[in-house]
Amino acid sequence: MVGLVLSGAVYASPGKDLLLKNGQILLIKDDSVIEGDILIKDGKIAKVGSGIKAAAETEVIDLDGKWVMPGIIDSHSHIAIEGSVNEMGDLMTPEVDIKDVINPEDISIFYALTGGVTSIHTMHGSGNPIGGRGIVLKLRWGKTAEEMIFEGAPLTVKWALGENPKRSNFFSPGPARYPRTRMGVEASIRYEFEKTKDYMAQWDGYRAKVKKWKGTGTKPLPPRKDYRLEVMADILKGKYWVRCHAYQSEEMVSILKLCKEYGLKLVCFEHGLEGYRITNELVEYEVAVSTFADFWSYKWEAYYTMPHAVALMAKRGVLVAINSDDGERMRHLFNDAAKAVRFGGLSEHEALKTLTINPAILMGIDQQTGTIEAGKDADLAVFNRHPLDSTTVCEMTLVDGEVLFDRTKYLEDRQKAVEEKKKKEEEKKEDKE
Amino acid sequence: MKKLSGLFLFFVCLLFISQPPLNSEEGLHSVWAIKDCRVVSISGPVLEKGTIIIRDGLIQAVGEDVQIPVDAEIFDGSNLTAYPGMIDALGQYLLKFPEEKYDPGKFMSGEFTEKDRGITPELCAFDHINLTRATLDKNHSFGITTVHLLPQRGVFTGQGSVFSLSSSNESQALLLKDGFLGIGYSPSSFMVYPNSLMGAVALIKQELSDAVYYDMKQQRWEKEKSGIPRPVYNKKYEILSDYATGKKPVIFYCRNQHDIKRALFIASEFRLKYLICDLNNEAFRVIPELKDARAKVICTLNFKPPATSLYANRSREEKEWAEKELYVKNAVKLAEAGIPFAFSSLETDDPKSFMEGIQKVIANGLPQEKALEALTINAASFLGLDKAIGSIEKGKIANLVLVEGDILAEKPQVKCVFADGKKYQIKEKKVVEGEKPTVNITGNWEIDIEGAGFKFTIAFTQEEGALSGVMTTPFGAFDFTGGSVTGNQIYFETLLSVGGQDMDLYFTAEVEGDTMRGTVIVGTEDSAEFTGKRIP
Repeated sequence: MVGLVLSGAVYASPGKDLLLKNGQILLIKDDSVIEGDILIKDGKIAKVGSGIKAAAETEVIDLDGKWVMPGIIDSHSHIAIEGSVNEMGDLMTPEVDIKDVINPEDISIFYALTGGVTSIHTMHGSGNPIGGRGIVLKLRWGKTAEEMIFEGAPLTVKWALGENPKRSNFFSPGPARYPRTRMGVEASIRYEFEKTKDYMAQWDGYRAKVKKWKGTGTKPLPPRKDYRLEVMADILKGKYWVRCHAYQSEEMVSILKLCKEYGLKLVCFEHGLEGYRITNELVEYEVAVSTFADFWSYKWEAYYTMPHAVALMAKRGVLVAINSDDGERMRHLFNDAAKAVRFGGLSEHEALKTLTINPAILMGIDQQTGTIEAGKDADLAVFNRHPLDSTTVCEMTLVDGEVLFDRTKYLEDRQKAVEEKKKKEEEKKEDKE
Repeated sequence: MKKLSGLFLFFVCLLFISQPPLNSEEGLHSVWAIKDCRVVSISGPVLEKGTIIIRDGLIQAVGEDVQIPVDAEIFDGSNLTAYPGMIDALGQYLLKFPEEKYDPGKFMSGEFTEKDRGITPELCAFDHINLTRATLDKNHSFGITTVHLLPQRGVFTGQGSVFSLSSSNESQALLLKDGFLGIGYSPSSFMVYPNSLMGAVALIKQELSDAVYYDMKQQRWEKEKSGIPRPVYNKKYEILSDYATGKKPVIFYCRNQHDIKRALFIASEFRLKYLICDLNNEAFRVIPELKDARAKVICTLNFKPPATSLYANRSREEKEWAEKELYVKNAVKLAEAGIPFAFSSLETDDPKSFMEGIQKVIANGLPQEKALEALTINAASFLGLDKAIGSIEKGKIANLVLVEGDILAEKPQVKCVFADGKKYQIKEKKVVEGEKPTVNITGNWEIDIEGAGFKFTIAFTQEEGALSGVMTTPFGAFDFTGGSVTGNQIYFETLLSVGGQDMDLYFTAEVEGDTMRGTVIVGTEDSAEFTGKRIP
């Protein structure tokens, strides 16, 4: 049974050429639909078009009219993490890194493939104003943690505003933890940056002293290396893409102003359910929003939104991605994208963009994935109907040109395993008699 | 069995004459010549017929043609094989920690200590070891003469010491003090940093960095004394700096393959001396990384797949299959890849399960010589003690086990053990472990030790297989320090404290109706027969 689920490539040998024939291909780079083929070489899309002829050794899969879209990219996830998602013990914890605790055997990775998801951004939770660093993974099921890391993807750090870092949603015995207000959350971020500037000045001062030291007298003593402030310094230098969890429009605008003050780029608001109210600011600051299609009212700050929010923001020019934040929702993100068509009247093409090229852009991996174009990674999801059809089923998922999920074959293998097990049990019974 | 005149005399002496306590552990380094036995020295070829000379606790000579000194007591080793004493490379079952009381006030005040965070490098195994005659005996009956004990809880778990199983006095038994630092990845269960696995990883790096920084400042101050601010004493960093600067080795407690990789990263970043403790036998999944790092692995005998493994999260059949077919072969794969390893009693705890686990690994493909190497010279070398133990060589400590047949057989017929040159005759145990008790001896019994000249009463309390009780003697009432019942065999121990002298009495007996008959061992060698009768 394990072999079924643990194996990587289902078809043939990895790295082999593959031709997907007779599909209805949603390129995403524009709203066209190509009735044709995709040729894959060395894990990359070599050619897209109709009537592609391939060399004799090429494996051929006849899609028989099925729909193909770029592999879905989930930009807000917490799967494949070993241990706790939040470092709750301290206020600011950017020194912790999800990269240190990737669990490549998390079954949620496989389940994500069954929903057509091929890349994810998995990260720290929203328990702290400045949490830990996240990582972009390509769901190369069966490989090691290092092999799953998406090469060249920008590094990220998680910020959080609102109820979660205030810890207002659960009772924690003990003295009150600062901050208890939204202004406190922002102030604590500001305070940490000031501490960081002091730290950087200390080290700059030390380095200058070392340069001037001529070998006589007391050799300058270096300051203490603080891993936390090192990462904070890197954030100030722009080495990390900031992903900020926020719900309320006021605090979103406020943090944008803080970032401008420190010369920081805030790349994306996570959830940003009230983002539709501040689209001007979002466009002005070039901030993306990674949000839910229709999940709200689960806490006080999540009240003032509606399922039309995605469409409203997208139509105003905000870069919007639809995410899951959950291992279960991850398996039917294509249904969520359809909701943006139903509520708010977003075009089908724009809706599919929220699952593909938009998250790719805000994760910095749009050069490698997000659309079906020659030269990009062969990350593809195959559906039996149009992905936005409410009864569609994901039939096959390819990552780097390897079929990592094939529904028909999987169900066949599962049936075989059940029958084999029955046979073994009957043989055992016979032996006993 | 000698008549117990010795015990009787001893009691009498204590009654009438107050003597300075007889330190029975010193001055027992006698001279032995073990003749005509098969010698598996590990350091050289097997000798079919050899002689080993022991003097002053050390091996004076070993070979085929060795001259026997005049003052040597001869031990006939014919039909026996001599192995170096086995080494348990890492354990903690002999450590006893004070019971922790739950303190609700702590939650309300939020005043957490370093201990709550899991930072306890000052916790030394030496201060918490609980060695009794019974544990020595049990280890000896499986040929184990050396054990390394290290606390296991937390992030910086404490410091380990190596003990020679030749005395129940920890100072006498101590072979190497505070030689290892344990590093684990256990986040705190309190709302305190580190509360997550990634937090624990970050904390380990920060603390090691701070320890190196502390050491640097101390050294600069000691050298210069002027022009730089004086360092502030910090007990934690005093202890950690020896390990963080690579002077003494650390042991990483790894629950799975990812912990192993994390350990290799940290060790390489700080250039640590280290050993990998593979708690759940997953090292086989990272053999290339271990090879590159030239890592040394200590394997437990627990083969259950760890929680992060896919096998642990699917069906029960898959989990059992993985345990029986995959994880049990971990050491086999390490041996094939040429990665040095030793064995640990962690997760299995007692010596019997330890050796049974090793037999399982051998049954699954580990060559016997590799198993022996792991138990002897590899373990010695990991502990930095390969000049003193781990093989039968001139100059090394006389830790030997004499077996009829194979030490790694299913029920090893260990006849005799030498630990630090002291001879321990292994009693024939008729107790079958695990059998349900077929007798209930709860009640008062009159015990008559042959040759002692007086009788005393014991009040037994038996609960299923556990036996406790009180022994009432003319010198006072003494509680049992251990006891159990299997089938109709019983064993129990008491610690007699007479005139400032402690004496371990170790009883084994067979029960029939309202009578029992068995043996009592006093000290390290004196023994006698005894009978018991139930008092109606």
